[in-house]
Amino acid sequence: MLRVEGLEVAYGDLQVVWGVSFEVPDGSIVTILGPNGAGKTTTLLALMGLLPVVAGSVTFNGDSLIGLPTHQMVERGLILIPEERAAFASLTVEENLELGAYTSRSRSPRQEAMAEILDIFPQLAERKSQLGGTLSGGERQMLAIGKALMARPELLILDEPSLGLAPIIVEHIFEVIAQIRDRGVSVLMVEQHVEMALEIADYAYVLETGSIVADGPSSELSADPRVQQAYLSL
Amino acid sequence: MTQLILQSVVSGLLVGGMYGLVALGLAFAFGVLKVLNVAHGEILMIGGYVAFFAFTAWGLDPFLSLPIVFIVMFGFGALLYVVLFRFVTRTEIHTRIKNSLLISFGLVLVLQALAVRFFTADERTISTAYSSEAITIGLVRVPVVRLAGLVVALVAALVLEWLLNRTRFGRAVRATSEDWTRAALTGIDVNRVYLIAFAISAALAGLAGSLVTLGYSVSPNIGLGWTLKALIVVVLAGLGSMRGIIVAGLFLGLTESLAAVWLGGEYREVAALVLFLVVLSIRPQGFFGRAYA
Repeated sequence: MLRVEGLEVAYGDLQVVWGVSFEVPDGSIVTILGPNGAGKTTTLLALMGLLPVVAGSVTFNGDSLIGLPTHQMVERGLILIPEERAAFASLTVEENLELGAYTSRSRSPRQEAMAEILDIFPQLAERKSQLGGTLSGGERQMLAIGKALMARPELLILDEPSLGLAPIIVEHIFEVIAQIRDRGVSVLMVEQHVEMALEIADYAYVLETGSIVADGPSSELSADPRVQQAYLSL
Repeated sequence: MTQLILQSVVSGLLVGGMYGLVALGLAFAFGVLKVLNVAHGEILMIGGYVAFFAFTAWGLDPFLSLPIVFIVMFGFGALLYVVLFRFVTRTEIHTRIKNSLLISFGLVLVLQALAVRFFTADERTISTAYSSEAITIGLVRVPVVRLAGLVVALVAALVLEWLLNRTRFGRAVRATSEDWTRAALTGIDVNRVYLIAFAISAALAGLAGSLVTLGYSVSPNIGLGWTLKALIVVVLAGLGSMRGIIVAGLFLGLTESLAAVWLGGEYREVAALVLFLVVLSIRPQGFFGRAYA
């Protein structure tokens, strides 16, 4: 479904991503692991058209995405939940969810979608008329995921969904991500929480200083001594 | 003395309504695009001439021509955005203010020069049959055209607030003002939001221009004076509340008017600037500004 080949991204003269290739097949969870500053977020932002792509190709269901404005990618079903504060602080929980269904593909079924999401995250139902900015970190991440689901994604991209959250909430969030995959939505996830990410992912890539240095099915990768040493502290 | 004070309270509130309406458009563009358009007063001036010529050339009543002025100035604003301000909103948020200041100050000079060239430097006003009518309440005279101006300002603020809080487009505008990147990731065409918001800002300036030409007068150099008042009002009110802007406008008008009575006419502007400095140092987010953690 999503295929990235030879992606190179630069901030002005400073190149950060060097020829990265990966793919996300239909109905699977793919995770990109790697240390801080490896270029994970940069890769995702470039994918969504928020940073200029120097070279390489990005195709989604066979169509090239290079040069498309961000809002049109959302229209095609690519939804990125950015790192931290993805929901709007100045909008209420309900308004955030409503706004999630902004695209024409998601507008009509939004009543059912809203009910479904409040079913997954009952905490949000209790806080419907509260401003996004008044939620706790965990609730705000739930709202971000709920808002993304309102857009009816085909591919959900998450940038460090566990960042700054308590372990028990992280566990809940990861359960929900696995459920989302089971409903047929593909997931691409960048994580530093390597152990948990490998547990739910089907396939993983390791990104270091802007290049893919290892990849494989998660079970193989978690058995790889290099990965164990560098990321799993075993 | 009582009569003088009551009369100046009323005239202060009436001119304050105008300050509020002018500030409404300025604050809207600033809040959404993070663009500081010091040519807002010149856009008002152009709107004033549109109303003036609609009246003199076609005999169109200035209140009937309000919708026409709104539409014409909406188009003018859209054009200015496409030709000039689009290049400002392409840059990072923190560079937008200084870039927009430079561009809009240039625009001030261009629009003033064009106005002198095409409309001459004469001061013009729209005088209708009802221009000098006034309602007398006790000791106080309330000129009807200025009163109508205040009503238009209030209605404009309420409609804008309704648009922002109750419509899908309004939610998109609020999301874009909070964080344009995240708005784009939500599927919002941020450039379209910017275009429409800037056009609405210019259309509001146009409405104010009509009412200024009717209740006061228009000439090519009135713009900067109105922009300055609007800037003071925006600082007083803070961003986030539309009716707060009108309230701050009324407050400024009242302060000026009472300063003129008690301290003398030459202190009118001084009072406004002192108020500006005091609010800026004590409550920089303004009376009604929202601060999010």
